[in-house]
Amino acid sequence: MTRDAAAPSTRERTVTLTVNGATHSARTEVRTLLSDFLRHTLGLTGTHVGCEEGVCGSCTVLLDDVPVRSCLLLAVQAAGARVETVEGLAVDGELTPLQQAFMAEHGLQCGFCTPGILMSLTAAEREGLSEPETADEVLAGHRCRCTGYAGIRAALRRSRAGTGQGGGAGEGAR
Amino acid sequence: MTEDTGATGPGPLGRALPRTHDPRLLRGDGRYVDDIAGPQRGVLHAAVLRSPVAHGRVTRFDATAAREDSGAHLVLGPDGIARHTGPLPTFWRLPGQWQHTIEVATRTVRYVGQPIGLVVADSRAAAEDAAERVEVSIDPLPAVTDVDAALAPRAPLLYPETGTNAAGRIRLGDPEADVERAMADAAHLVTRELAVQRVSVAPMEPRGLLAEWTPATQQLTVCSSTQVPHPVRCGLAAALRLRADQVRVTVPDVGGGFGGKTTLYVDETLVCLAAKLLGGRVAWTEDRAEAMAADYHGRGQRATARLALDADGRFLALDARVRGDLGAFATQGGSGPFQITGLSLEGPYRFPCAGATVTGVYTNATPTGAYRGYGMQEACWIRERLIAEAARELGLDPGELRLRNLITVGEMPYTVRAQTTYDTGDYPATLQRAMAAVAERPRVRTGRLRRGVAAVPSVEGTGYGPTALLEQIGLEASGWESGRIRINEDGTVTVFTGAVSLGQGIETALAQIVADRLGLPLERIAVRLGDTDTSPHSDYSSQASRSLVLCGTALLRAGERLRARMDALAAALLETVPEDVRLEADETFRGEKTSRTATWREVAARGWLGWGRPEHDRIRLEESVDYDPPDITFAHAAHAAAVAVDLDTGVVTVEGYWAVHDSGVLVNPLIAEGQTVGEGLGMALLEEADCDPATAQPLRRGLADYPLPAPADVPPVEVAHTRTPSPHNEGGFKGLGEGGILPVAAVVAGAVADAVPEIAAGLNRTPLTPYRIWTLLREAGLA
Repeated sequence: MTRDAAAPSTRERTVTLTVNGATHSARTEVRTLLSDFLRHTLGLTGTHVGCEEGVCGSCTVLLDDVPVRSCLLLAVQAAGARVETVEGLAVDGELTPLQQAFMAEHGLQCGFCTPGILMSLTAAEREGLSEPETADEVLAGHRCRCTGYAGIRAALRRSRAGTGQGGGAGEGAR
Repeated sequence: MTEDTGATGPGPLGRALPRTHDPRLLRGDGRYVDDIAGPQRGVLHAAVLRSPVAHGRVTRFDATAAREDSGAHLVLGPDGIARHTGPLPTFWRLPGQWQHTIEVATRTVRYVGQPIGLVVADSRAAAEDAAERVEVSIDPLPAVTDVDAALAPRAPLLYPETGTNAAGRIRLGDPEADVERAMADAAHLVTRELAVQRVSVAPMEPRGLLAEWTPATQQLTVCSSTQVPHPVRCGLAAALRLRADQVRVTVPDVGGGFGGKTTLYVDETLVCLAAKLLGGRVAWTEDRAEAMAADYHGRGQRATARLALDADGRFLALDARVRGDLGAFATQGGSGPFQITGLSLEGPYRFPCAGATVTGVYTNATPTGAYRGYGMQEACWIRERLIAEAARELGLDPGELRLRNLITVGEMPYTVRAQTTYDTGDYPATLQRAMAAVAERPRVRTGRLRRGVAAVPSVEGTGYGPTALLEQIGLEASGWESGRIRINEDGTVTVFTGAVSLGQGIETALAQIVADRLGLPLERIAVRLGDTDTSPHSDYSSQASRSLVLCGTALLRAGERLRARMDALAAALLETVPEDVRLEADETFRGEKTSRTATWREVAARGWLGWGRPEHDRIRLEESVDYDPPDITFAHAAHAAAVAVDLDTGVVTVEGYWAVHDSGVLVNPLIAEGQTVGEGLGMALLEEADCDPATAQPLRRGLADYPLPAPADVPPVEVAHTRTPSPHNEGGFKGLGEGGILPVAAVVAGAVADAVPEIAAGLNRTPLTPYRIWTLLREAGLA
């Protein structure tokens, strides 16, 4: 933590951004992490913080469609951006096919790491990455202590089977 | 994959149903403690001042600068803490252990990360800023972090007044003299030094709490990410000198526990003290660096272990001299994990003679405590390495040697030398099934890659436990559980029990049991857990693979009683006899003879009204059952692995993994499978919470240093469940929360030994990291 003798006002900025389609504007210290801004300032606590060093992936959100670790970004870096969090996935409480697959395949236990995984897998699906690519490369950016990843892999398979985006799709993506 | 679902009737019992609270967690509507505390206005935030050295005396704690110009609302140091607190009680000690409590105010620090003080400010960041302005001086003392170094002559002493770092000692099983006699004439004797590393428990959600003191009512309300709300209440009342009923502990969603949240910690106590002194709300969630340093570690033991066999390969005797690494002080459960190693040393085998001597040792490292499968996993490691090495030395197939000595169905119930009694299970059949999974696997060797397989059986004591047994081993806790079911006036059902939900799906499994016994659909049942004001008392809550067995049985009985009462109420309303009443799938009671009907809801409402009630009938539609199990139920399993060892790099790759598991009657096979495929490969291959022996500084400060198993580290696991009901409870339940971790390290090491027999004798400690394997390969002239 910095020990800045300057008045708080010079250490603060107003950050305006859209989260899950809604525009938010709030004063925050420039040192505030995006994860803390989402959770504590905006009250969007679905994004979780597990390690604060970018390893566990629990805090993953989409920033202009790209999965990012919100614990490794400052809130001011997200000014003007379009942020998507786990709260934005289900529409009117209706779970997405991926979320439904997690439920059916027991892809979550304590549920703490789940929001970040859902965001990464959602981005991968939108990018057209194949199921094996997603399982091997995208899931590699997440840590789950409960499941041994078995239920998560099964959920990924089930959701792709349901949407016809199984193995082989998405050549040339990225 | 899963077979024999165990579904026994039309009800939800035994069905692989998705969990009831998943939609909430999937939508991002989880309520973990920092989700509750973080966005609230008017909550103050704490930062903990911790020792940067492994051993030393705090000579100065000057908070002047922090108090005057950093915006801190409160700064607590050793003197202030001492004025307001007493020590925390412990419940499980060694004979001879003088240390009966845990000090909350610390003037001598004994591990890196030990709490010294607390700062409270408007935000976590402000509290951390203020904490940096507290000036702390510590006179360093010599430190020791290795158990054997700590026991050596002239070792630095953590408690010099006692003259030793040994906290106490206990002999379990047969006396040493008997073991020595049995080993004296043995045809074969295998001796090994076998170690299990310290691990960070590392639930994805670190510990945290929100404490609120209400001055008007003198009440402390604590929302805590804990596995044990009642012991937390008990500890807080003792340390803060309050009545037990002045403290209420509630448990929100918990992001994993694995044993790391089974006690009240000193830092948590300080946060509650701050709330009391400030007369308001104070929140604290540790960061990962704090979790690595300050959460009680799991495991950490060495054993000198011996196995004696006769000329036919039959086991004659087993002995282990265990040195358990207590760390800086004996925690609430203290030496318990090491004692369980001694008590479960024999595993699924027949031993005419067996025993263990367990010594608890103080070291200048993080105190140790519970971690999934404690004691049993270490025992499995000791036993199975000895057996595999005996087979190698005798030129026998390790599977054949195991089968020769496994307890058979005909010998059940079987009492081992440590005096626990196995109830049911076909151990040889289970092992044979796991062996078959890898028997035909081609052990292809390509260039510098060697492949090997192994299968290892294990037995898991679950449903701890009979209170009389805990009393017998001097464990100051009760083992019983309560289940309370209330049918509300609208016919809905609310269930209260001492379990806590931390990802194991217990609320769904318990709801299935209640729904089954009442004859209702699952959605009628709401399970309320984790609130000391409303949950039945529980000393253990959710740990030790016990909630399903104990809470489940209590609720099963309560459910049967309530169903009988509802049948009687319905019969009175339908003007028939209870035997004539049937509850239809549409939740309607039908009197067969009178052809009259009444809905479940009508009957419930009438029950609460009490109209037409015979004088001696109970009124409240609520039943509460206390269940103290007659004995431990023993689940069993066998795991098999196929590994590849890279002779150039020492990397062990697990290419296939199989688990055959028997936990009696399964309430929900979907959840059961998730519990079986655990995190054991991390202990086997990756994780170690070690210290630099020269500086005594911990080497793992975050998840970048501490490798939790990544997706690529965990191969698909094929799980099969067999079903041998326990005779100890009418549901036939056995626990399964920990079985998935017990044999993993032993089976991986066995497969490595099979692949590279040249290094088998050196596979004596986990994790089997590339460096450790490569060193062995090099010593063997292979790398």
